[in-house]
Amino acid sequence: MKIKGLLVAIVFLASLSSCTVLKEYEKVYVNDEEMLLSSRSLERFEMTFQIYREAAAGANGGKTGGGCGCN
Amino acid sequence: MITSGFSQTPEPYKKKVLESTEIQSLFSYYAQQGVHGAVGGGLGSEELVNTTPTIVVTVPLNEDVVLTVDSGISTYTSASSSNINPFMSVGVLGTQAKANSTSEVGLSRPQTWAASGASSSNNTGSNLVTMPIGTPWFASSGASRKDALKHISASISESSDDRNTIKSAELYASTEYDYQSFGFGAGWARLFNEKNTEISLKAKVYLDQWYPIYPTELHEYGLYGTDFLNRGYFNGVNVLNQDGQTTNAYLPSQFTEWKNSNRSSGTFSLSFSQILSRRIQVSLSTDVVYQTGLLSTPYHRIYFKDRPNYYIGDASFIDVYDTTKNFGVFRLADDIERLPESRVKIPIGGRLNMYVNDWLTLRSFYRYYFDDWGIQAQTASLEMPIKLSMNWTVYPSFRYYEQSAAEYFKPFGEHLSTQQFYTSDYDLSSFTSSQLGFGISYKDIFTNIKAFGFGLKNVDFRFQHYYRSDGLESIIYGIGVKFVQ
Repeated sequence: MKIKGLLVAIVFLASLSSCTVLKEYEKVYVNDEEMLLSSRSLERFEMTFQIYREAAAGANGGKTGGGCGCN
Repeated sequence: MITSGFSQTPEPYKKKVLESTEIQSLFSYYAQQGVHGAVGGGLGSEELVNTTPTIVVTVPLNEDVVLTVDSGISTYTSASSSNINPFMSVGVLGTQAKANSTSEVGLSRPQTWAASGASSSNNTGSNLVTMPIGTPWFASSGASRKDALKHISASISESSDDRNTIKSAELYASTEYDYQSFGFGAGWARLFNEKNTEISLKAKVYLDQWYPIYPTELHEYGLYGTDFLNRGYFNGVNVLNQDGQTTNAYLPSQFTEWKNSNRSSGTFSLSFSQILSRRIQVSLSTDVVYQTGLLSTPYHRIYFKDRPNYYIGDASFIDVYDTTKNFGVFRLADDIERLPESRVKIPIGGRLNMYVNDWLTLRSFYRYYFDDWGIQAQTASLEMPIKLSMNWTVYPSFRYYEQSAAEYFKPFGEHLSTQQFYTSDYDLSSFTSSQLGFGISYKDIFTNIKAFGFGLKNVDFRFQHYYRSDGLESIIYGIGVKFVQ
């Protein structure tokens, strides 16, 4: 069920590529620094303690357990 | 010669991926407190303070290639890990009543204890004794109360001429007193659909090595075997039973040292991002993580429900052992945490960012997680950057998290010795947590402020308060300053 849900999500997002295609000059808003699809540099420290204090990690560009004594 | 010079076609201008060297200095301070210390078998102080200065240097090697070097030292002091060896042999004048005891653990205790004949290994005067005492509620003076994790990583990325393909590789190394790690990885990203769509793949491997340290009482048993109460640390030390009487029945026979102290982690990541409109873009990421080796923490104690209780310290505190009124007795472990030697973790996360207007942006994140230890978790967060001016932005944020417990978790003293796997680490328990905070960012658009030939690009400050439903509470703040050449 989980794998099926994941596949549905991937197919759904792949279909989004048929949305409006923006030219470079139309990307002034999506190129804004606050629109970056990644975490902020200072969030790395929060993600580190969250890896220790919570079981879930990953899918956000951060570590997933290697490199420290945490699980 | 002249002719051949005119016949050359000039190279088309290629904008650098990164124009100039950047140096980012980051610092964080983290402090937590809680009552479920895993070193105490799910009971005891979780007080911890951590500071982490970090430097990140990013250098353009040519128009296409960027090198990033990231290094830092994460230093902590921890009450919980100090209690790997919780026992302090202190010389005290036995005239202070325990009612006066404070956080100076065991520095005050009743006169009657010294007079009762309990282990007095170095009685140098009428009422000066040295005796081992401990408590899970306060830090001991053991060496394990502090440690530093030093790390360095280097990554290199190369963009294609059309900037639609990015290849990357990285190396990582870190060291702690009892843990070392070496990692490497590679990534590939492709932009298409006029750079409206991006797919990226990444693979990482960590090859880690524990240098296990065990709780003192178990270490001694592992070293000397069944005669351990008469040798080494325990020689001349009284072990007490639940009634406070001296006994020699304590035998943690279930304990064995780990044969395999390696831990390997492999992560495969897939990400997809898409511009949906002029103001909205989304991404979906998933990781498949496989870990194998020593996934337990070797100094997390376990107390079995079906085994008698044994202590070292002041018997008068046994009745209040599980309360913060216990200033002077520590329960001896039956074993250490035992967890399976493999784990598969799968997080699936998505981001949606929306440029609402010129002063407000919404940044959201959601993640569903599951693993084969029986944990399922959800994370949701929202951040709202508000531009106050060209230079200043504030961003309040909120994060909510919930998880179910691992199959192997039970609270303090609830496990049975017949189980194969067990842990009382509340990080693997069922809980919810909330994190509320804010950040302030200053951007020096024209890099007017100079230092050592570098211009200030931005300054960030971030503060977060974290609360977990089992009572663990923490704060973290971070400061980041970025300079460009």
